Amino acid sequence: MKPFIILAVVAVIIALRVTFHLRGRRAKAVSSAQPQREDSTSVEPPRRSLLVSVFGVVGLVAQREVRERIRGRVFQVGTGIILLVVIAAIVIPVLTRSKSEPERVGVVGTLSAPLRTAVMATADAIGTSMTFVSEPDSSAADADLRSGHVDVVIVDAKQVVVATAISAGDTSATAQLAGSAAQTLGTAAAFQAAGLNSAQADAISHAKPVPLVGLRPAPISHHKHSPASVVTLVLVFVMLGQYSTWILTGVVEEKTSRVVEVLLAAVRPAQLLGGKVLGIGLVAAAQASILVAVALGLSEAVGSDLLHGTGPVTVLAALLWLVLGYAFYCWVYAAAGSTVERQEQVQSLAFPLTIPVLVGYISSLTVATTGTPNTFVDVLAYLPPTAPFAMPTLVGIGTATWWEFAISVVLSIASTVAVARLATSIYRRAILRTGRRVHIRELLPAKPTSSR
Amino acid sequence: MRVAAQTGGLLEIDELTRRYGTVVALDGLSFSVQAGQVVGFLGPNGAGKTTTMRAIFGLTDLDSGEVRWNGAKIDQPTRRRFGYMPEERGLYPGMLVGDQVEYMGRLHGLSATQAQAATNMWLERLGVADRAGNKVDVLSHGNQQRVQLAAALVHEPELIVLDEPLSGLDPAGIDDIGAVLVERAAAGCCVVFSSHQLDLVEDLCESVTIIDHGKLVTSGRVDDLATSGPRRLVVRVEGDRDAAWAKKLAGVKVSEVNGGEARLVLDESTDGDVVLRAAMAAGRLSEFSFARRRLSEVFREAVA
Repeated sequence: MKPFIILAVVAVIIALRVTFHLRGRRAKAVSSAQPQREDSTSVEPPRRSLLVSVFGVVGLVAQREVRERIRGRVFQVGTGIILLVVIAAIVIPVLTRSKSEPERVGVVGTLSAPLRTAVMATADAIGTSMTFVSEPDSSAADADLRSGHVDVVIVDAKQVVVATAISAGDTSATAQLAGSAAQTLGTAAAFQAAGLNSAQADAISHAKPVPLVGLRPAPISHHKHSPASVVTLVLVFVMLGQYSTWILTGVVEEKTSRVVEVLLAAVRPAQLLGGKVLGIGLVAAAQASILVAVALGLSEAVGSDLLHGTGPVTVLAALLWLVLGYAFYCWVYAAAGSTVERQEQVQSLAFPLTIPVLVGYISSLTVATTGTPNTFVDVLAYLPPTAPFAMPTLVGIGTATWWEFAISVVLSIASTVAVARLATSIYRRAILRTGRRVHIRELLPAKPTSSR
Repeated sequence: MRVAAQTGGLLEIDELTRRYGTVVALDGLSFSVQAGQVVGFLGPNGAGKTTTMRAIFGLTDLDSGEVRWNGAKIDQPTRRRFGYMPEERGLYPGMLVGDQVEYMGRLHGLSATQAQAATNMWLERLGVADRAGNKVDVLSHGNQQRVQLAAALVHEPELIVLDEPLSGLDPAGIDDIGAVLVERAAAGCCVVFSSHQLDLVEDLCESVTIIDHGKLVTSGRVDDLATSGPRRLVVRVEGDRDAAWAKKLAGVKVSEVNGGEARLVLDESTDGDVVLRAAMAAGRLSEFSFARRRLSEVFREAVA
């Protein structure tokens, strides 16, 4: 799995290069403004941009979006924070999973070999390792407990002592070990008091349950709780929210600052909107790719569970649905933004738009954390507004088949095309209307022809 | 670097009509503007100036009518060779000044290298070169106005349309921007700018088009308009701040009295000597001269 690590490193290098390139441009812009400058145009070769040569005016608009977004502190800090969250989400479970220190159990007086074996067995059962430490007497054992040198002390096979009394909800290895050791020793003492020999005691403690028969076979369950699906779901939610907000505030900024008047004197509304969607989409795709590359590379490096089972498929499905989700929502938010008159109206406008997002996210999160499918989320997985959350979750818990996935993708793409058309038409009508909030009613029926 | 804009461009506004509900913004407005001159597009607030200018750029729907450039209906490629400075200034508040002007140049068809060179040139020409690395929103109002003008001129447009370019500027700013407009017109551009302060722009423009209620009031060369119409006298009689003496004269209309200085409009038949004698009889005469007709008077007399 070395390619993932290489991919992660390459992505980080590209990101740094882009940042430095932009810093350089800014510095040059400032210095070129100085009156004593040389005529830089004669020495500089003409700059060619792939975006502009492929997409023309739309590419120009997109190029500005990319440059302004990447240059913004919000983007730089935001990417850093999301990266840290991803790194933490991968590294912390790995660190907490393997507790390196075995539990140290002090023994005062005698503890017979069968009892020692029984206590060791309970440690195994709760998934921790342990060692016995001989203590000369109770006071030495107490001192070792207080200093943390031992975790648990067994006194004459009759009493279990810990440093701090164990509270009801304590699930630490020490608490579990102390509890089960006390139970094991108590059972052994009871067997002895009842006069059972060791073979009888052994037979009781290893008794097999009677057969349990079901009339119908159990449904085949391949549902698994997948940590990857929770992490990716949260990231899809955060990132989709961020990109939608960029589109919304970008459109509102252009309208409220009236810069749109100047822009539309030169370009068509569809070109301006298309460029914005493309530019922010490119930044989003770059940011998401960096995150995924870092996540996969880091998981490989530290041996995280993320790469086991459905993990990699879930991550890739989430990446695809992030793109599809962006493609769907960007138009919705752009159309909404074009109807706004003042910056303050953004809040009241954004709220209804986030409802489907929240419904999809919260329902899917329930499924992802419990690993139990439910019909509601199965339905949400086919609705384009909620599918970006529900479908990767179903992939994560392993209930989605490839054709269900494909149907949902096709539905999403088809509705995105329809939404894009409607949104462009609303945008074209609303973006130049000023003076008051534009109502959706006014935007739908045919209006007098304009020259556009 | 770029060929100077060709001379001989003709902007035609033909029978534009635009209604907003019951409000008629443009009511069959027609006029034309020849390139190579600075044309003032004047009228009181609400006359329809902004709607007309937005119509040139396809920024407003029209109920009827057409805008033509050199005889052809204006399409998108043609529009990219125009420059527009809207009344409500439009710049990205958080974008660097230099980047912003360069971006406008690129949108209007300049290559990256051309746009950069033209941006440097125009920012320098308008005295804001040292602000190229600043964000727009830290600039003063006057400097934002200069940047806005640079953004409208960076691609050396054939037609420049400016909506109230002088509003809120100090005298130095008005002189600077005025000089640039005159220079562009001399280079063969068609320069149209609007103003509701009719008298402020007399020196700036060669000819004017005056509209009111969405209709043409009058248009022509400033010199012709100023010298036509009834004669007018500016008379100051010491001690008579209300020009009471003139109000009694037959064939004379007092158009305004400003600090004792009376502006009188004479009927065709009224003799100037009669007025002079009456003024001398009223008190010590400190000013007596024939004056040109102001544009505000042209407007007032045309709509009367």
